[in-house]
Amino acid sequence: MHELSIVEALIEQVETEVDRAGARGPVARLKLSIGRLSGVNADAVRFAFQLLAPSTRLAGAALEIDEPKAVCVCAACGARTEIEELVLSCPACQAGKITIDGGREMLLETIDVDEFDR
Amino acid sequence: MKIVAAQKILKANDQLAEENRRRFSAAGVFGVNIVGSPGCGKTTLLEALIGRFGDALAPAVIEGDIAGSIDAERIDALGVPVVQINTDGACHLDAQMVNAAAGSLELGQLGLLLIENVGNLVCPAGFDLGEHRRIVLLSVPEGDDKIAKYPAIFRGSHALAITKIDLLPHFDFSVDRVVADMRRLAPAARVFQLSAKTGGGVAEIGDWLQAEAAAR
Ligand SMILES: Nc1nc2c(ncn2[C@@H]2O[C@H](COP(=O)(O)OP(=O)(O)OP(=O)(O)O)[C@@H](O)[C@H]2O)c(=O)[nH]1
Ligand SMILES: [Mg+2]
Ligand SMILES: [Zn+2]
Repeated sequence: MHELSIVEALIEQVETEVDRAGARGPVARLKLSIGRLSGVNADAVRFAFQLLAPSTRLAGAALEIDEPKAVCVCAACGARTEIEELVLSCPACQAGKITIDGGREMLLETIDVDEFDR
Repeated sequence: MKIVAAQKILKANDQLAEENRRRFSAAGVFGVNIVGSPGCGKTTLLEALIGRFGDALAPAVIEGDIAGSIDAERIDALGVPVVQINTDGACHLDAQMVNAAAGSLELGQLGLLLIENVGNLVCPAGFDLGEHRRIVLLSVPEGDDKIAKYPAIFRGSHALAITKIDLLPHFDFSVDRVVADMRRLAPAARVFQLSAKTGGGVAEIGDWLQAEAAAR
Protein backbone atom coordinates (compact mmCIF):
# COMPACT_ATOMS: atom_id res chain seq x y z
CA MET A 1 0.00 0.00 0.00
CA HIS A 2 2.48 2.68 -1.06
CA GLU A 3 -0.47 4.96 -1.81
CA LEU A 4 -0.49 5.67 1.94
CA SER A 5 3.05 7.06 1.93
CA ILE A 6 2.35 8.91 -1.31
CA VAL A 7 -0.70 10.62 0.19
CA GLU A 8 1.30 11.40 3.33
CA ALA A 9 3.88 13.17 1.16
CA LEU A 10 1.12 14.85 -0.85
CA ILE A 11 -0.50 16.33 2.26
CA GLU A 12 2.85 17.78 3.38
CA GLN A 13 3.42 19.15 -0.11
CA VAL A 14 0.00 20.84 -0.13
CA GLU A 15 0.58 22.37 3.30
CA THR A 16 3.92 23.77 2.11
CA GLU A 17 2.33 25.31 -0.99
CA VAL A 18 -0.56 26.80 0.98
CA ASP A 19 1.86 28.37 3.48
CA ARG A 20 4.03 29.70 0.68
CA ALA A 21 1.00 31.33 -0.94
CA GLY A 22 0.16 32.93 2.40
CA ALA A 23 -3.34 31.43 2.39
CA ARG A 24 -4.95 31.05 5.81
CA GLY A 25 -8.24 29.23 5.31
CA PRO A 26 -8.85 25.50 5.12
CA VAL A 27 -8.20 23.63 1.86
CA ALA A 28 -11.48 23.19 -0.03
CA ARG A 29 -10.43 21.27 -3.11
CA LEU A 30 -7.43 19.50 -4.61
CA LYS A 31 -6.92 18.60 -8.25
CA LEU A 32 -4.51 15.81 -9.08
CA SER A 33 -3.52 14.11 -12.26
CA ILE A 34 -2.53 10.46 -11.91
CA GLY A 35 -1.68 8.74 -15.17
CA ARG A 36 -2.92 5.21 -15.83
CA LEU A 37 0.65 3.96 -16.10
CA SER A 38 1.99 5.73 -13.02
CA GLY A 39 1.76 2.55 -10.96
CA VAL A 40 -0.48 4.38 -8.50
CA ASN A 41 -4.12 3.53 -8.16
CA ALA A 42 -6.48 6.53 -7.95
CA ASP A 43 -9.03 4.69 -5.80
CA ALA A 44 -6.35 3.72 -3.30
CA VAL A 45 -5.27 7.38 -3.23
CA ARG A 46 -8.87 8.43 -2.47
CA PHE A 47 -9.06 5.86 0.30
CA ALA A 48 -5.72 6.90 1.82
CA PHE A 49 -6.81 10.55 1.62
CA GLN A 50 -9.97 9.75 3.61
CA LEU A 51 -7.82 8.14 6.27
CA LEU A 52 -5.12 10.79 6.51
CA ALA A 53 -6.74 14.15 5.73
CA PRO A 54 -9.06 14.56 8.76
CA SER A 55 -6.25 15.45 11.20
CA THR A 56 -4.78 18.08 8.85
CA ARG A 57 -5.60 21.42 7.15
CA LEU A 58 -6.98 19.35 4.32
CA ALA A 59 -9.82 17.95 6.44
CA GLY A 60 -13.03 17.93 4.41
CA ALA A 61 -11.31 18.92 1.15
CA ALA A 62 -12.77 17.55 -2.08
CA LEU A 63 -10.34 15.41 -4.01
CA GLU A 64 -10.60 15.49 -7.81
CA ILE A 65 -8.40 13.07 -9.72
CA ASP A 66 -7.90 13.17 -13.46
CA GLU A 67 -6.61 9.85 -14.85
CA PRO A 68 -5.05 10.49 -18.26
CA LYS A 69 -4.60 7.51 -20.56
CA ALA A 70 -1.43 6.67 -22.45
CA VAL A 71 -1.03 6.20 -26.19
CA CYS A 72 0.58 3.16 -27.80
CA VAL A 73 2.24 4.10 -31.09
CA CYS A 74 2.95 1.16 -33.41
CA ALA A 75 5.98 1.25 -35.71
CA ALA A 76 4.56 -1.59 -37.84
CA CYS A 77 1.00 -0.48 -38.66
CA GLY A 78 1.11 3.14 -37.51
CA ALA A 79 -1.89 2.76 -35.19
CA ARG A 80 -2.14 5.15 -32.24
CA THR A 81 -4.22 3.36 -29.61
CA GLU A 82 -5.33 4.85 -26.29
CA ILE A 83 -4.48 2.42 -23.52
CA GLU A 84 -5.48 2.22 -19.85
CA GLU A 85 -2.80 -0.25 -18.90
CA LEU A 86 0.64 -1.09 -20.18
CA VAL A 87 0.68 -3.35 -23.25
CA LEU A 88 3.61 -5.33 -24.65
CA SER A 89 2.34 -5.34 -28.23
CA CYS A 90 0.18 -3.19 -30.52
CA PRO A 91 -3.53 -3.73 -29.69
CA ALA A 92 -4.34 -3.30 -33.41
CA CYS A 93 -1.84 -5.64 -35.08
CA GLN A 94 0.01 -7.42 -32.19
CA ALA A 95 3.40 -6.20 -33.43
CA GLY A 96 6.04 -5.79 -30.73
CA LYS A 97 7.74 -2.64 -32.02
CA ILE A 98 5.83 -0.03 -30.09
CA THR A 99 6.45 3.11 -28.09
CA ILE A 100 4.27 4.27 -25.23
CA ASP A 101 3.57 7.98 -24.77
CA GLY A 102 2.34 9.60 -21.56
CA GLY A 103 0.27 8.15 -18.76
CA ARG A 104 3.11 8.15 -16.22
CA GLU A 105 2.54 11.58 -14.71
CA MET A 106 1.64 12.10 -11.07
CA LEU A 107 0.88 15.78 -10.58
CA LEU A 108 -0.52 18.10 -7.99
CA GLU A 109 -2.35 20.52 -10.29
CA THR A 110 -4.30 23.05 -8.22
CA ILE A 111 -5.29 23.76 -4.63
CA ASP A 112 -8.41 25.78 -3.74
CA VAL A 113 -8.28 27.43 -0.34
CA ASP A 114 -11.40 28.90 1.30
CA GLU A 115 -11.23 32.57 2.21
CA PHE A 116 -12.41 33.37 5.68
CA ASP A 117 -12.25 36.38 8.01
CA ARG A 118 -10.86 36.19 11.47
CA MET B 1 -7.93 31.44 -3.47
CA LYS B 2 -6.70 29.07 -6.18
CA ILE B 3 -3.09 27.97 -6.04
CA VAL B 4 -1.71 26.58 -9.29
CA ALA B 5 0.93 24.15 -8.07
CA ALA B 6 1.52 22.16 -11.28
CA GLN B 7 4.24 20.08 -9.65
CA LYS B 8 5.07 16.43 -9.31
CA ILE B 9 3.61 14.52 -6.43
CA LEU B 10 6.59 13.10 -4.50
CA LYS B 11 8.55 16.22 -5.47
CA ALA B 12 10.18 16.12 -2.04
CA ASN B 13 11.39 12.54 -2.61
CA ASP B 14 12.62 13.36 -6.12
CA GLN B 15 14.57 16.38 -4.87
CA LEU B 16 16.20 14.45 -2.09
CA ALA B 17 17.01 11.65 -4.53
CA GLU B 18 18.78 14.18 -6.78
CA GLU B 19 20.71 15.41 -3.77
CA ASN B 20 21.73 11.83 -2.93
CA ARG B 21 22.86 11.27 -6.53
CA ARG B 22 24.96 14.45 -6.51
CA ARG B 23 26.50 13.49 -3.21
CA PHE B 24 27.37 9.98 -4.44
CA SER B 25 28.77 11.31 -7.71
CA ALA B 26 30.86 13.93 -5.95
CA ALA B 27 32.36 11.23 -3.72
CA GLY B 28 33.03 8.97 -6.72
CA VAL B 29 30.50 6.40 -5.56
CA PHE B 30 28.33 4.50 -8.03
CA GLY B 31 24.88 3.81 -6.55
CA VAL B 32 22.84 0.74 -7.48
CA ASN B 33 19.27 0.04 -6.40
CA ILE B 34 18.49 -3.68 -6.32
CA VAL B 35 14.81 -4.58 -6.46
CA GLY B 36 12.76 -7.76 -6.77
CA SER B 37 10.26 -9.98 -4.94
CA PRO B 38 10.90 -11.39 -1.47
CA GLY B 39 13.37 -14.25 -1.77
CA CYS B 40 14.29 -13.67 -5.43
CA GLY B 41 17.99 -13.71 -4.56
CA LYS B 42 18.99 -10.09 -3.89
CA THR B 43 21.24 -10.73 -0.90
CA THR B 44 22.68 -13.80 -2.58
CA LEU B 45 23.68 -11.64 -5.57
CA LEU B 46 25.29 -9.07 -3.27
CA GLU B 47 27.29 -11.82 -1.57
CA ALA B 48 28.45 -13.17 -4.91
CA LEU B 49 29.43 -9.72 -6.22
CA ILE B 50 31.33 -8.93 -3.04
CA GLY B 51 33.06 -12.32 -3.13
CA ARG B 52 34.25 -11.81 -6.69
CA PHE B 53 34.69 -8.05 -7.04
CA GLY B 54 35.05 -6.94 -3.43
CA ASP B 55 38.62 -5.67 -3.83
CA ALA B 56 38.11 -4.03 -7.21
CA LEU B 57 34.87 -2.22 -6.42
CA ALA B 58 35.30 -1.05 -2.80
CA PRO B 59 31.62 -1.76 -2.06
CA ALA B 60 29.32 -0.89 0.80
CA VAL B 61 25.76 -2.08 1.28
CA ILE B 62 22.53 -0.51 2.50
CA GLU B 63 20.02 -3.20 3.47
CA GLY B 64 16.35 -2.32 3.42
CA ASP B 65 14.02 -4.65 5.28
CA ILE B 66 10.68 -4.28 7.00
CA ALA B 67 12.17 -5.78 10.16
CA GLY B 68 15.30 -7.50 11.44
CA SER B 69 18.95 -7.45 10.46
CA ILE B 70 19.40 -10.92 8.98
CA ASP B 71 20.58 -9.64 5.60
CA ALA B 72 22.91 -7.02 7.13
CA GLU B 73 24.52 -9.75 9.23
CA ARG B 74 25.16 -11.80 6.08
CA ILE B 75 26.96 -8.82 4.52
CA ASP B 76 28.78 -7.93 7.73
CA ALA B 77 30.21 -11.46 7.79
CA LEU B 78 32.01 -10.61 4.53
CA GLY B 79 33.77 -7.64 6.12
CA VAL B 80 32.02 -5.03 3.98
CA PRO B 81 30.54 -1.83 5.50
CA VAL B 82 26.78 -2.26 5.85
CA VAL B 83 23.89 -0.18 7.19
CA GLN B 84 20.54 -1.73 7.98
CA ILE B 85 17.37 0.30 7.42
CA ASN B 86 14.19 -1.01 9.02
CA THR B 87 11.20 0.53 7.28
CA ASP B 88 8.81 -0.32 10.10
CA GLY B 89 6.17 -1.71 7.81
CA ALA B 90 6.74 0.48 4.76
CA CYS B 91 6.92 -1.60 1.60
CA HIS B 92 9.80 0.31 -0.07
CA LEU B 93 12.84 2.44 0.65
CA ASP B 94 12.66 6.17 -0.04
CA ALA B 95 15.28 8.86 -0.65
CA GLN B 96 15.07 10.12 2.92
CA MET B 97 15.95 6.71 4.40
CA VAL B 98 18.89 6.31 2.01
CA ASN B 99 20.06 9.85 2.79
CA ALA B 100 20.13 9.05 6.49
CA ALA B 101 21.82 5.66 5.99
CA ALA B 102 24.49 7.11 3.67
CA GLY B 103 25.37 9.56 6.43
CA SER B 104 26.91 6.77 8.46
CA LEU B 105 29.14 5.52 5.60
CA GLU B 106 32.58 6.88 4.64
CA LEU B 107 31.53 7.66 1.07
CA GLY B 108 34.99 8.98 0.15
CA GLN B 109 36.48 5.52 0.64
CA LEU B 110 33.88 3.69 -1.45
CA GLY B 111 33.50 2.92 -5.14
CA LEU B 112 30.14 1.17 -5.18
CA LEU B 113 27.04 1.53 -3.03
CA LEU B 114 24.68 -1.43 -3.34
CA ILE B 115 21.22 -0.72 -1.98
CA GLU B 116 18.99 -3.77 -1.41
CA ASN B 117 15.40 -2.56 -1.50
CA VAL B 118 12.53 -4.16 0.40
CA GLY B 119 11.39 -7.35 -1.34
CA ASN B 120 8.45 -6.12 -3.45
CA LEU B 121 7.72 -5.94 -7.19
CA VAL B 122 5.31 -3.01 -6.94
CA CYS B 123 6.05 -0.20 -4.54
CA PRO B 124 9.80 0.43 -4.99
CA ALA B 125 9.03 1.39 -8.62
CA GLY B 126 7.71 4.80 -7.55
CA PHE B 127 10.62 5.90 -5.37
CA ASP B 128 13.88 7.20 -6.79
CA LEU B 129 16.59 6.69 -4.16
CA GLY B 130 19.30 8.66 -5.91
CA GLU B 131 20.88 5.60 -7.48
CA HIS B 132 22.73 5.67 -10.81
CA ARG B 133 21.38 2.31 -11.97
CA ARG B 134 18.49 0.06 -10.96
CA ILE B 135 18.72 -3.70 -11.36
CA VAL B 136 15.55 -5.76 -11.14
CA LEU B 137 15.75 -9.46 -10.30
CA LEU B 138 13.27 -12.10 -11.41
CA SER B 139 13.77 -15.66 -10.18
CA VAL B 140 12.75 -18.70 -12.22
CA PRO B 141 10.25 -20.04 -9.61
CA GLU B 142 8.25 -16.78 -9.79
CA GLY B 143 7.18 -17.54 -13.35
CA ASP B 144 7.84 -16.06 -16.78
CA ASP B 145 4.70 -13.89 -16.83
CA LYS B 146 5.87 -11.41 -14.19
CA ILE B 147 7.07 -8.68 -16.56
CA ALA B 148 3.64 -8.56 -18.15
CA LYS B 149 1.95 -8.50 -14.73
CA TYR B 150 4.21 -6.00 -12.93
CA PRO B 151 5.41 -3.82 -15.80
CA ALA B 152 6.23 -0.61 -13.95
CA ILE B 153 9.23 -1.91 -12.03
CA PHE B 154 10.73 -3.56 -15.11
CA ARG B 155 10.12 -0.57 -17.35
CA GLY B 156 12.22 1.75 -15.19
CA SER B 157 15.17 -0.63 -14.65
CA HIS B 158 18.54 -0.52 -16.41
CA ALA B 159 19.19 -4.24 -16.13
CA LEU B 160 17.27 -7.45 -15.52
CA ALA B 161 18.88 -10.40 -13.78
CA ILE B 162 17.04 -13.68 -14.17
CA THR B 163 18.08 -15.55 -11.03
CA LYS B 164 18.01 -19.22 -9.97
CA ILE B 165 18.69 -20.25 -13.56
CA ASP B 166 19.82 -23.64 -12.23
CA LEU B 167 16.15 -24.36 -11.45
CA LEU B 168 15.04 -24.13 -15.11
CA PRO B 169 14.70 -27.93 -15.47
CA HIS B 170 12.05 -27.93 -12.73
CA PHE B 171 9.82 -25.12 -14.01
CA ASP B 172 7.98 -24.22 -17.20
CA PHE B 173 9.84 -20.95 -17.53
CA SER B 174 10.64 -19.50 -20.92
CA VAL B 175 13.76 -17.33 -20.81
CA ASP B 176 12.97 -16.25 -24.38
CA ARG B 177 9.59 -14.89 -23.33
CA VAL B 178 11.11 -12.93 -20.45
CA VAL B 179 13.84 -11.50 -22.67
CA ALA B 180 11.27 -10.54 -25.31
CA ASP B 181 8.96 -8.87 -22.77
CA MET B 182 11.88 -6.92 -21.30
CA ARG B 183 13.02 -5.82 -24.79
CA ARG B 184 9.59 -4.29 -25.34
CA LEU B 185 9.39 -2.46 -22.04
CA ALA B 186 13.01 -1.43 -21.68
CA PRO B 187 14.83 -1.83 -25.00
CA ALA B 188 18.15 -0.54 -23.67
CA ALA B 189 18.25 -2.74 -20.57
CA ARG B 190 20.86 -5.49 -20.24
CA VAL B 191 19.63 -8.98 -19.36
CA PHE B 192 21.75 -11.35 -17.25
CA GLN B 193 21.21 -14.99 -16.27
CA LEU B 194 22.44 -15.85 -12.79
CA SER B 195 22.86 -18.93 -10.70
CA ALA B 196 24.18 -18.88 -7.19
CA LYS B 197 24.64 -22.65 -7.45
CA THR B 198 27.07 -22.51 -10.38
CA GLY B 199 28.24 -18.90 -9.99
CA GLY B 200 27.16 -18.31 -13.59
CA GLY B 201 26.45 -14.71 -14.63
CA VAL B 202 28.17 -13.03 -11.67
CA ALA B 203 31.24 -12.09 -13.71
CA GLU B 204 29.07 -10.57 -16.45
CA ILE B 205 27.01 -8.44 -14.11
CA GLY B 206 30.12 -7.33 -12.20
CA ASP B 207 31.88 -6.39 -15.46
CA TRP B 208 28.82 -4.43 -16.54
CA LEU B 209 28.69 -2.55 -13.24
CA GLN B 210 32.39 -1.70 -13.51
CA ALA B 211 31.94 -0.46 -17.07
CA GLU B 212 28.86 1.60 -16.18
CA ALA B 213 30.63 3.11 -13.18
CA ALA B 214 33.73 3.91 -15.24
CA ALA B 215 31.64 5.55 -17.98
CA ARG B 216 30.39 8.17 -15.56
N1 LIG C 1 18.74 -22.75 -6.46
C1 LIG C 1 19.05 -21.48 -6.24
N2 LIG C 1 18.66 -20.88 -5.09
C2 LIG C 1 18.97 -19.59 -4.91
C3 LIG C 1 19.68 -18.83 -5.87
N3 LIG C 1 19.82 -17.57 -5.42
C4 LIG C 1 19.24 -17.54 -4.20
N4 LIG C 1 18.72 -18.75 -3.89
C5 LIG C 1 18.02 -19.12 -2.64
O1 LIG C 1 16.85 -18.33 -2.53
C6 LIG C 1 16.59 -18.00 -1.16
C7 LIG C 1 16.43 -16.52 -0.98
O2 LIG C 1 17.63 -15.83 -1.32
P1 LIG C 1 17.97 -14.38 -0.78
O3 LIG C 1 19.24 -13.96 -1.45
O4 LIG C 1 17.94 -14.34 0.70
O5 LIG C 1 16.76 -13.55 -1.36
P2 LIG C 1 16.38 -11.99 -1.13
O6 LIG C 1 15.86 -11.51 -2.42
O7 LIG C 1 17.55 -11.28 -0.57
O8 LIG C 1 15.21 -12.10 -0.05
P3 LIG C 1 14.55 -10.93 0.84
O9 LIG C 1 15.67 -10.02 1.28
O10 LIG C 1 13.92 -11.65 1.97
O11 LIG C 1 13.56 -10.25 -0.04
C8 LIG C 1 17.76 -18.58 -0.36
O12 LIG C 1 17.37 -19.79 0.19
C9 LIG C 1 18.83 -18.75 -1.42
O13 LIG C 1 19.73 -19.77 -1.10
C10 LIG C 1 20.08 -19.51 -7.09
O14 LIG C 1 20.69 -18.94 -8.00
N5 LIG C 1 19.73 -20.81 -7.21
MG1 LIG D 1 17.65 -10.07 1.13
ZN1 LIG E 1 0.25 -2.14 -35.00
